[in-house]
Amino acid sequence: MVLVEHLVKRYGARLAVDDLSFEVAKGEVVGFLGPNGAGKSTTMRILAGFLGMTSGKVTVSGHDVTGDSYAARACIGYMPEAVPLYPEMRVAEYLTFRAELKGVARRERRASVDLSMEKANVVDVANVVIGALSKGYRQRVGLADALVAKPPLLVLDEPTAGLDPNQIVEVRDLIKALGREHTVLLSTHILSEVEASCTRVVVIDRGKLVAEGGVGDIRRMRRAPAIDVTVRGAETAVTAAMKKIEGIATVKRLDAVAGENDVATYRCAWTKKLPDADIAKATEELVAALVTGGHAVREVRAAGGSLEDVFRDLTRGANDAAEARPS
Amino acid sequence: MRAFWPIYKRELFAFFVTPLAWVLICVFLLVQGMHFYLLVDHFSNMGEVASDQTPVQAFFGNTVLLYLVLFLLVPAMTMRLFAEERRSGTIESLMTAPVSSAAVVLAKYASALTTYIAMWAPTALYLVILARTGDLDWHVAGASYLGVLLVGGGYLSLGLLTSAVTKSQFLALVLSAMVILILFILGIAEFVTAEGTMAHDICSYVSVWAQMNDFASGIVDLRRVAFGVTLIVLPLFVTTRAVDAWRWG
Repeated sequence: MVLVEHLVKRYGARLAVDDLSFEVAKGEVVGFLGPNGAGKSTTMRILAGFLGMTSGKVTVSGHDVTGDSYAARACIGYMPEAVPLYPEMRVAEYLTFRAELKGVARRERRASVDLSMEKANVVDVANVVIGALSKGYRQRVGLADALVAKPPLLVLDEPTAGLDPNQIVEVRDLIKALGREHTVLLSTHILSEVEASCTRVVVIDRGKLVAEGGVGDIRRMRRAPAIDVTVRGAETAVTAAMKKIEGIATVKRLDAVAGENDVATYRCAWTKKLPDADIAKATEELVAALVTGGHAVREVRAAGGSLEDVFRDLTRGANDAAEARPS
Repeated sequence: MRAFWPIYKRELFAFFVTPLAWVLICVFLLVQGMHFYLLVDHFSNMGEVASDQTPVQAFFGNTVLLYLVLFLLVPAMTMRLFAEERRSGTIESLMTAPVSSAAVVLAKYASALTTYIAMWAPTALYLVILARTGDLDWHVAGASYLGVLLVGGGYLSLGLLTSAVTKSQFLALVLSAMVILILFILGIAEFVTAEGTMAHDICSYVSVWAQMNDFASGIVDLRRVAFGVTLIVLPLFVTTRAVDAWRWG
């Protein structure tokens, strides 16, 4: 569906996208991930035909985006990051205009607009002037606009940016539903979003590809490096009991629980490369040892290992590699 | 070119939904009405004195009021066409739809031209008034309106171009007003340069003043028409290239 080969984009002296290659197959929902300024929006704008590239080749449904731009653009429903809309138009008017612009035949236009409004859940504001809409509604009108001509490919640039948590959940569910009919490429810098709605992930940083794979691969990298245990007992006794467990490398006392001097949280870091099964076993042993030692265990919780940590590791790793290379 | 029609309709809608359009048209008709009143008053008080001038000729050709009004109104009509879309970012959704740059440029120009024609349309009533009280040469009237269309069309085309080269509406306004003023002054230079010199020839050729005088006298000179059409087509072409060039900015 989308084939990006050795894409390079320069803004003057600044390199925004540096030899980026990836592929999106038909029917996939691909998360395009990276920190702010990584080149996500630039790549998507090139895909959508808004920006030209410095070198490389991008094809959408077999149409080259520079050579056969018109046909390529006709295959894409693009939602720009800022969701620019004409504030003086009403929602239904705007979508009808967009449908006509995208070449939806006159007799199908009404039905297409109604369907896209229904899918994006904006039917209740169909006759409201866009300038008066809230951010959440504007975002959904942008989505309806991307959907209106029923394009095979949806390119959504940060579709949940600036929404409140309820709206984020709504948009995620919507994207998941859209994934059944369309191929979707969406960009974000929020990892949990990728986990919630995508089948595959492409991670870029500073214009370069740093990782690519299924969501499961990324999830596997999410192994927690430590656990936090909140326990009642004297520090020395607790620490000694913890250190006896095989697999625990270091124990560090964090804060005491407020108001209770003998209750504190300890962070037990696993030895490196401990397999998942052993972590589970060691955790069981640790709790058992503490309880038999007469220490009351209040809470056990995995520390770190959030998607954000994985992401930081991935992008930081790329930076280190770039810096280590002689230039 | 399929995209021409929806964009044309939207542009007209966007212009007339704001107070700006109505304010501009009101100001225009007010000034032209006063202009017409003063001229008719002047001619009717001349009594039996023979004159080779008619009110129509004076209205379209011999006073500075026509140019003053165009100079003030045309840049305000064209300033938002591209600059506003680039400032607000809507140009991104517009240009990522399957549309050609030429269709976008032509649709925007056509909407401005339509507004301009709508602005002039009520002035046809002046001719009706004149025709009721005396003889009116309809050829002269027709030629005058052709002149108004060509001059205004050229100004609008230049205005569209300046709107495409900047993101600021205000800068677009100032730029197009400057271009129009320079063109006008260049034409006036016909009267200060010595006859027979190259500068004089160039100035008389590009003179909007001389052009309107010719048309208002009922003379449809093909050279004048060619100049008018050039003034419309060339900026439109450059604008299309400018729109294509954003992609590389």
